[in-house]
Amino acid sequence: MTDNNSPEPRPGFFRRVWNGFWSTSGVVTVGFTLIAGFLAGIIFWGGFHWSMEMTNTEEFCTGCHTMETNLGEYRETIHYNNRSGVRAICSDCHVPKEWNHKVKAKIMAVKDVYHEVMGTIDTPEKYEDHRLSMAAQTWRKMKKSDSRECRNCHKFDYMDFPVQEARAADAHQRAIDDDMTCIDCHQGIAHQLPEGYQEKYKSVVEDLAADTGNQDGKTVSFAALRAFLGGDDATDVTER
Amino acid sequence: MLEFLGTVGGAVLGLPGVLGLALGMMTRNPIFGGVFGAVVAVIQAFIFAKFDFGNIAVFDLVIAIGVGVLAGVVGSAIRVKGTVA
Repeated sequence: MTDNNSPEPRPGFFRRVWNGFWSTSGVVTVGFTLIAGFLAGIIFWGGFHWSMEMTNTEEFCTGCHTMETNLGEYRETIHYNNRSGVRAICSDCHVPKEWNHKVKAKIMAVKDVYHEVMGTIDTPEKYEDHRLSMAAQTWRKMKKSDSRECRNCHKFDYMDFPVQEARAADAHQRAIDDDMTCIDCHQGIAHQLPEGYQEKYKSVVEDLAADTGNQDGKTVSFAALRAFLGGDDATDVTER
Repeated sequence: MLEFLGTVGGAVLGLPGVLGLALGMMTRNPIFGGVFGAVVAVIQAFIFAKFDFGNIAVFDLVIAIGVGVLAGVVGSAIRVKGTVA
């Protein structure tokens, strides 16, 4: 029953919820609270993790209209169809496995939703206009992380060079010797390469080297890179 | 900007945010709470760098420490607010 003669006005809804949240409980025990909290934690964390994994599926990634071009190109590559029947889907190459990097990538991927809504690349012409800059973003990310996502499956240590084609074995050995990373050579492995990609990739590497001051001491040998790609410009961009 | 927001989000949902908050809730002193959060951030960076300080990204570490300190202080505030004695 409400006391209409109460001198204090009844607090608002949010104030009552806030006060109730911080009031001591005279109903349940500490043990009950702990067990209930533990179970609720499992349920909420499980739900969160499940949702996160759902966004890693190919259906989710290609659910947007703007990803159709990407999907078509990827379906023509060895990462989609191959003799061994192993498939790398979008998230295998574009989403890190480690938790901290994965959450960061997921938050940054919100930009894809924005561009889908804004129609930034909703026509083939617009897509082609943005192809180089989109590719450059991914190259930068992969170069910066030493092609971390490639290395989830491909590692130099696991390669049996005598079984590889002579050209591939030679290229991989030189990549080890020159401290190169996967994306230095395999830029168009899953999507078509835009025109002028070599120059763009070179500028990506130069920008990264300038940003980091090349502190890691790694040498980016464009002589080797150009040789792999069939170019004739043999210029070392950064040297130790 | 996107890089910054992503790094902050990763730290909030990672050890600095979650464990920092939990450790902060173990003390009423917000300074201790903040220190706990910062220590967690440094340890996390060290672990993810595969125990090599050379692999630690300074930008990520600074963000993680900031988030850890905030989480620890908030944890302490929750402890103060949430106990009656």
